[in-house]
Amino acid sequence: MSALELIDIRKRYGVIETLRGIDLSLASGEFLVLLGSSGCGKSTLLNIIAGLAEATEGDVRIGDRSVTGVHPKDRDIAMVFQSYALYPNMSVARNIGFGLEMRKVPAAERTDAVRKTAKILQIENLLERKPSELSGGQRQRVAIGRALVRDPQIFLFDEPLSNLDAKLRMEMRTELKRLHLMLGTTIVYVTHDQIEAMTLATRIAVMRDGQIEQLATPDEIYNHPATRYVASFVGSPPMNMLEATVAEGIAHIDGSLSGFALPADIREKAGQARDVVIGIRPESLSLAPAGDAALGIDAMVEVVELTGPELVVTSTIGSQRLTASLPPKSAVTAGMAQRFAIDAGALHIFDKATGRRL
Amino acid sequence: MTSNWITTRAWLLMLPLLIVMIAIIGWPLVDTVRLSFTDAKLVGTAGGFVGLDNYVKMLSGANFQRTLVTTTLFAVLSVAAEMVIGVLAALLLNQQFYGRSVLRALMILPWALPTVVNATLWRLIYNPEYGALNAALTQIGLLDTYRSWLGEPGTALTALIVADCWKNFPLVALIALAALQAVPRDITAASMVDGASAWARFRFVIMPYLAGPLMVALVLRTIEAFKVFDLIWVMTRGGPANSTRTLSILVYQEAFSFQRAGSGASLALIVTLLVTVLAVAYAALIRKSAGAS
Ligand SMILES: Nc1ncnc2c1ncn2[C@@H]1O[C@H](COP(=O)(O)OP(=O)(O)O)[C@@H](O)[C@H]1O
Ligand SMILES: [Mg+2]
Repeated sequence: MSALELIDIRKRYGVIETLRGIDLSLASGEFLVLLGSSGCGKSTLLNIIAGLAEATEGDVRIGDRSVTGVHPKDRDIAMVFQSYALYPNMSVARNIGFGLEMRKVPAAERTDAVRKTAKILQIENLLERKPSELSGGQRQRVAIGRALVRDPQIFLFDEPLSNLDAKLRMEMRTELKRLHLMLGTTIVYVTHDQIEAMTLATRIAVMRDGQIEQLATPDEIYNHPATRYVASFVGSPPMNMLEATVAEGIAHIDGSLSGFALPADIREKAGQARDVVIGIRPESLSLAPAGDAALGIDAMVEVVELTGPELVVTSTIGSQRLTASLPPKSAVTAGMAQRFAIDAGALHIFDKATGRRL
Repeated sequence: MTSNWITTRAWLLMLPLLIVMIAIIGWPLVDTVRLSFTDAKLVGTAGGFVGLDNYVKMLSGANFQRTLVTTTLFAVLSVAAEMVIGVLAALLLNQQFYGRSVLRALMILPWALPTVVNATLWRLIYNPEYGALNAALTQIGLLDTYRSWLGEPGTALTALIVADCWKNFPLVALIALAALQAVPRDITAASMVDGASAWARFRFVIMPYLAGPLMVALVLRTIEAFKVFDLIWVMTRGGPANSTRTLSILVYQEAFSFQRAGSGASLALIVTLLVTVLAVAYAALIRKSAGAS
């Protein structure tokens, strides 16, 4: 049984098509992250699942029941908003219990449920406070509590961590992961933060311009990105994208005299393609001695930055850029020519015209 | 430069304005207080000092007491109706529908009209011979014969309240609409997901956002309604049989119709005091509700 199914969801605002045919099916207990840059339609999609917006076309099914036209309250979903959306005049306890109150759950039962939820989220001592007396992280917990207490089929999160500072965001990320493992709930989670997506998701749907560009596990998204867009969206620093021309198995990096022979499997994939983009993650580069015979490329080092755990080296190959993440003590000097060895198993090749993986 | 000099200079700079203010506000006020202790007539005698006689006479007179009741009735009923209609109108105009912005603009119209125009308009509507109200009510069969709405003591006050309501509900609606638009979208959405019915949403989620602004509207409107003059003066002059005589009308009659400047002044000061008490009480209420939320 699928917990959630979206069938060819389309949304138009006037002439602008915000969602252009979204299909996906989610098993119970999955943690799906909708990942995409701002404005790509993530919130719109989430609101359509919640019933807060109506799809122009297509069907939403929750627990094998079509919910098109069904009021949000009858969809068996709970939602956590980016702004938390706590009721400012109500105590934390009433905020959490409001959904139950509206569903006519008896007061005693309600108090019990609120207690239990507060305990899970470690906010028992805050129950009597008003939202204005809470810190951002505490408000976030209350907002999550409001969703948890109802035990719905699906939890919807719209960028729930984006209003928190970096440290708190990391803490809450771990907390969410813990909750998901503990409760086994089905979650649809919207974010533009690729690290959140990578760490939380059981599957990621990378969205672009109202379409799903790739729907796969984090591992798959990271190691086998389906398109150039997905490849450059996930990973930090982002994947190097070198435009190259392939001739007789040799990739000539455009705008430079450098190039290298493609490994056999990649050469096979490239087939007859001539204009390609070669993707190399910064972390699959390492230092190599000049003139080394193994797979590698020559570049001119421009900037060397120590971020703490790694040394980020930015170099140029002709008119193109190459970024490498190296161990912090690597011997690199800005302004010097340097050869980088490439991990042959971590080469990605995309069609330059379509952006698709070859 | 010493701060002393700065203070002195500030006072010097404000001096011209202070003089003007004293001349146009302070002096008439002081003179009214002086008048209220005399038996001065509007024309002729300057009047001699009579102590608190005017105050005693006014407060103990049947006229004053009856007028106070009429004024309170007018203020409470018209303001209550304005609040309810205003909030309902705001809720309606906050919905998404075709022609909403036109309707929003139109709604302001009654409030933007000068009171005299509004009063004249309603006099026409209530006219016993060719008024629209009589025509409408007889045509739909609710009324057998034409009535003189403003001419009968039983209906005149109600007719005035309706006219006042029509003019002033837009102000309440405007304030409420602004408050409604300040309700965050996500909060409304959250209450929908939480399963709140339309009434529960209004009562528990929207109302807290409306309370403060509505309190301000309530204060403004009550004080204004308590002082009402022009609307009534144009429509009924306080009649028939003094059934629509409010405090301001009584002040006017005392001072100008009966030309008793002294007792008129004392009455005016009593009304001022009443309104001040109202204003202070309300201000305390607002502070309290602001502190609570
Ligand atoms: N009510 C609306 N009316 C018109 N356009 C809208 C509306 N809501 C969203 N959009 C448009 O749809 C696009 C996607 O918005 P949204 O789903 O909020 O993006 P995201 O959450 O991915 O940042 C945006 O370009 C936005 O301008
Ligand atoms: Mg969004």
